[in-house]
Amino acid sequence: MRKFLLPLLFLALFIAESLFVQFMPEKVFGQSKILVPHFLYTGLLFFTIYIGKNKGILYSAIFGLLFDIVYVEVLGIYLFLFPFVAYIVTKVMHVLQSNIIVASIVSLGGIALLEIGVYEMNFLIHVTDLDFMSFINLRFYPTLILNAIFILLTGFLFKRCFEKYSEALKDD
Amino acid sequence: MPQFFLNKRLIILLVSIIILVALIGFSLRERSKLTWPEQFVKDTTGWVQSLVSKPANYVAGFFENLQDLQNTYKENKELKSRVEKIASLEAEIQALKKDNEDLRKINGEEKTLRDMEPSPATVIGRNPDRWHEMLIIDKGSLSGIKKNMAVVTADGLIGKVKSVNQFSSTVQLLSAMDPKNRISALIQSDTNIYGFVQGYDDKEKALLVKGIPSGAKVEKGQTVITSGLGGVFPQGLLIGKVVDVKPDQYGLNQTALVKPGADFYDIENVLVIKRLMTQPDTSDMSDGKEEDL
Repeated sequence: MRKFLLPLLFLALFIAESLFVQFMPEKVFGQSKILVPHFLYTGLLFFTIYIGKNKGILYSAIFGLLFDIVYVEVLGIYLFLFPFVAYIVTKVMHVLQSNIIVASIVSLGGIALLEIGVYEMNFLIHVTDLDFMSFINLRFYPTLILNAIFILLTGFLFKRCFEKYSEALKDD
Repeated sequence: MPQFFLNKRLIILLVSIIILVALIGFSLRERSKLTWPEQFVKDTTGWVQSLVSKPANYVAGFFENLQDLQNTYKENKELKSRVEKIASLEAEIQALKKDNEDLRKINGEEKTLRDMEPSPATVIGRNPDRWHEMLIIDKGSLSGIKKNMAVVTADGLIGKVKSVNQFSSTVQLLSAMDPKNRISALIQSDTNIYGFVQGYDDKEKALLVKGIPSGAKVEKGQTVITSGLGGVFPQGLLIGKVVDVKPDQYGLNQTALVKPGADFYDIENVLVIKRLMTQPDTSDMSDGKEEDL
């Protein structure tokens, strides 16, 4: 039963991102910054941290491919970056102890890495011509703040959900 | 060397980078349509998205209605004054339309660049990463939608259809940076001035209309519409209003900054516009050596 719930949770986050952007007005608090929700990837990183490396990377690759096909139409960007950042996160978590605060901070770091990686790739294939400082001011800080708030709200829920899931796996 | 090959991680990284480059190269190529696995995945998720987005639209609409209620009194007053004018305007338009039709019949020119057939669609998704500005709408090739059709809201042009699946399609907004995105535009003044919509200024939030002859007098506040001469869009779709004019890099042309009439955010319903005038064949316009931009 729980095995079906997990993809459903990620699918819900996947669609929530699109809805969030669709209904967001141009200006937030009077400033026209670009806020990028990474709800799905926050979930995937918590999953990687609490369930394990192999499953985390597998799920990252599947949802990265889905993201590429549905939203981006350039295959490969997220298919590569999602598992790559997840792998780095597991390496970092080996060194640190896994409590919720460390997990949250590492996830936020992972999202920052993802955002920079996507910018560099898009710059390379001429999807954007934004220079790096404008990117930092216009997109990077606002995005990190938005996702920090999201992690603050849902990090605890993710942790409890995935810990229950891993217990259920052990029982099987 | 054997030790190098035993390093599994390095091999995996190299192989995945090769796959990455191959995939990006494959999808950046000029594609007339998506491959069938992509279409299948997009249609499936499109179905799920349309299930979710309809209730979401209701909820968002409810809050918008609440906001509207606040200024109802003021709006009502203003609208009443306009309604009186509309009745007389409508009568005038009817007469003019009939005149126009009759004259066209006499002339034997029954088709114009303005002829179009709109079909409504609902937005069911939007690209969350916001580099590639794209919308997903709930009508596809089964509803007669084809690649490169114009997409408008009530306030003006927002983009064109980028790719079509069976039950859903993707719309590329004008604010996306794509060198292939060129729209022939017409600035309405005493004489018609032509240019190309080409690119978007992220900081100014304005479209760039390039290639205007340096002698032409473009002023602030003039209206910009599609010219229909590009061969894809019909004539007369509103693009926006001129806010600034500046000479281009070498001083040969002018570039106009145009504030788009439509809001590129918070879009719920759109119209996909089919042009009824025949489209010229690309092979008629080029000698086959150039790639079409």
